[in-house]
Amino acid sequence: MQRLSITASLNNNTLQFEEAAYLRLERYLAEASRTLEGNPDKTEILADLEQAVADQCRKRLRPDQSVVTQAELEPALLEIGSVEVPGATGATDRMARDAVPRLQQVSEGAWVSGVCQGLARYLRLDVVLVRLVALLLLLFTGGAMILVYAVLMLLLPYAPFEPGGEPVRNIPAKSRELVELLRAKLSAATS
Amino acid sequence: MRIEAKIAPIRKGLLEFLVLKIVGARSVYVPDILRRLADTEFATQEGTLYPLLSKMRREELVDYQWQESDAGPPRKYYRLTEAGKVQLAALEAYWRRINNTISDIGH
Repeated sequence: MQRLSITASLNNNTLQFEEAAYLRLERYLAEASRTLEGNPDKTEILADLEQAVADQCRKRLRPDQSVVTQAELEPALLEIGSVEVPGATGATDRMARDAVPRLQQVSEGAWVSGVCQGLARYLRLDVVLVRLVALLLLLFTGGAMILVYAVLMLLLPYAPFEPGGEPVRNIPAKSRELVELLRAKLSAATS
Repeated sequence: MRIEAKIAPIRKGLLEFLVLKIVGARSVYVPDILRRLADTEFATQEGTLYPLLSKMRREELVDYQWQESDAGPPRKYYRLTEAGKVQLAALEAYWRRINNTISDIGH
């Protein structure tokens, strides 16, 4: 048995869709809704889009045809295009949002090398909390925490410098120099 | 193409200016705007235009009125507000200055 059609209301336009087309449209609207998250005009823009979809599908239906299929829906959605929020930089923005968070050291504002700052950024915690835990572990492990720190410092990549960020000097700069020197030697030794 | 990647953000930024110009010429609805831009470098889509127009309306640069249409539901017809006209004039003056700067510099 196959479901023949689904009746949908698009901004108060009643249209019949084949199941596959209906699911495709649902995905499109869900994606649009996600992109517009937090936009004060979200509801209105979604209504405008639904209206556009209804208009575009009606335009493509043959006179004897009452059910919208993928053959009408795909070109309709292609013509409408995916939702872009003004001011966003498109691809880069999406990449920044979807990318898996990277565990990196952050040199700017670091105390030593930026491991705690990197962990804080990765875990979305206050860096003060991360440093506090690290210092407590340092005390309770009788200094063995220094080794853990050193390993992380050697292994974790550095986050790229923020454009316009304050310059990195003193201890963070020195540790970074040291780490990069050690890494260069290590890679020279292994190759 | 490298040049395309450099030009794309400029074009994107200028779209709002062009929409101001189009809406400033006469009251239009979205398909009019799309058609006007279709054969230019600024060809765009409803998915981009509706969010942009909503933002411009929130900034009180444009406003719309519902108008009955012969076929189908009523349409939103956009026109410039007073603030929109002021901003359009300012942008046009600024655009002329930029143009002069770009053609003068380096010669």
